[in-house]
Amino acid sequence: MREGDRDDLELHRSLASGDRGAFDALYRRYSGSAYGLAYRITGQQVLAQDVVHDAFMALWRAPEAFDPARGAFRTFFLSLVHHRAVDTVRREERIRARQERAANLEPVAVEDPAESVIDAADVAGRRVEVRAALETLSPDQRQVLEMAYFGGKTQVQIAEEIDIPLGTVKTRTFAAMRKLRTVLDPMQTEPDDQPGDRATS
Amino acid sequence: MIDNHERIEELLAGYVLRSLSGADAAEADLLLSDHVPGCRRCRDSLDDFQRLSADLAFVVEPMAPPETLLPRLHRELEPQAPRRRPMQMFAVAAGVVAVVGLAGLTVSQSIRATNADVRADDLANAVGFATRDDARMVEVGPVQGISAPGENHFYVMGENVPSPPAGAVYRVWLVSGDAPTFVGDFLPEAGDVFLSIPFDPSRYDDLWISIEPSDAPTGEPSSAEWWSASSSPAAA
Repeated sequence: MREGDRDDLELHRSLASGDRGAFDALYRRYSGSAYGLAYRITGQQVLAQDVVHDAFMALWRAPEAFDPARGAFRTFFLSLVHHRAVDTVRREERIRARQERAANLEPVAVEDPAESVIDAADVAGRRVEVRAALETLSPDQRQVLEMAYFGGKTQVQIAEEIDIPLGTVKTRTFAAMRKLRTVLDPMQTEPDDQPGDRATS
Repeated sequence: MIDNHERIEELLAGYVLRSLSGADAAEADLLLSDHVPGCRRCRDSLDDFQRLSADLAFVVEPMAPPETLLPRLHRELEPQAPRRRPMQMFAVAAGVVAVVGLAGLTVSQSIRATNADVRADDLANAVGFATRDDARMVEVGPVQGISAPGENHFYVMGENVPSPPAGAVYRVWLVSGDAPTFVGDFLPEAGDVFLSIPFDPSRYDDLWISIEPSDAPTGEPSSAEWWSASSSPAAA
C-alpha cells in the first residue's frame, strides 16, 4: 500500500466518525484532481463545481460506501467523480437537446478553465506514471479510451462518431485497458493472444 | 476466438468507463450480479479496471475549484435542521394519491399506494425512513424523494402539489446513466402525493419526474418540464 493510500485510509476513518478536519484534509487532497476531471468532462465550471460538491457530500453523508477491501480511497472517490461527471454530461445533453427542439437554441458555449493547482506529491507522481502509460497505447486505442472516459461517450456513440464498427470500439477499448493494466501494474502480464480489431459487435 | 472470460472482461472494461449502453449495459449488469461475485478472475479484472479508471483522472491537470465551494460544503456539513416529525409529515397520507397508468412497470412490481389503499406497512416503513439518521430527502420538483441506505424502495411524497394541465400527468422515471426507465404516472389528489417505489439502488442513479401528456410514449421524457435528483441513498 502506498503511503498516500494509508493516509487516505486514516482520514476516511476519521471522516466516518464525523471529523470535519478529516473532511477538509481529503478535500485539500482531492478537490483539485476532482475538479480538473469534472471540468474536463463537463466543460462547464458550474457543472464541474456541482459534480465535486455532490461527490464530497456523498462521501460525508455515506462514508460507508467506500470499502477499503475493494481498493484505495482515491480509486473510489475519483471513480465517483467520473461517474457523476459523465452522468451530468449525458443529462445536460438530453436537456439541451430537448430545449433546442423546443426553442431552437444554440448549444451552450464552453467556459474558460479555472486556474490550475498543484496537488499532493504522491498524486503528482501517479500522474506522471499514468501519462507515460497512455503513451504506450496505439493512437486508435487511445482515441476510443479518451472519447469514453473524458468525452463521456458510449461505445455506440464512439462507433458512430468515428465511423467504425461497434465491435472494433469494444476491442480497442479492452486492449487499451489491458495494456494500461500491464504497464501500471508490473505484476500483470498481457495475454499472448491479444485479439485484433473486430468488425462487428 | 474470444473465450467467454475475454468477452466478460471486455464488457467490464466498458462498464468501468461508463461507456456501455443498451444490451451491453444490461448484460454487464447481469454479469455483475450473477457471475462476477463468484469468479476470482473477473473480480480481479473488475478491481483492476476500476483502479485504472480512477488513475485516468490523474491525466488531467488539477484545477482549483471555486473558492466558494468549500464554504458551501461546510455550510451543508452543519447538523441538519430537525426533520419534520413523522406525524406531521404523514398527516396528509391518509387521503393521498391517485396512481394512474401503471403500464410498463419494468423496475419491480409496481408503484403501490392509492387513496383508498395506502397500505399500513408502507406508511410504517415511510415513517421509519423519515426518522432514520441516514435517511436522505431530496426535492424533485413539486415533491420530495426519501431514500435510505440498504433499502430497496423509496418514497415520493408531497403536499400542495399543483395539478398538471388537463390531459397531463406526472411521470416517474428511474435513470441509469443516461437511460430512463418509465416507472409510472401519478396525479395528486387534493394536492397530496404518496408513492412507494421499489427499486434496485445499485442499478439507478437518478429519479426524474416530468409532466407529460397522459398518452405520451414512455420511451423517454418528451416534455421540457421535468425535474431530477439522485436516487442514490448515498448521494448528495
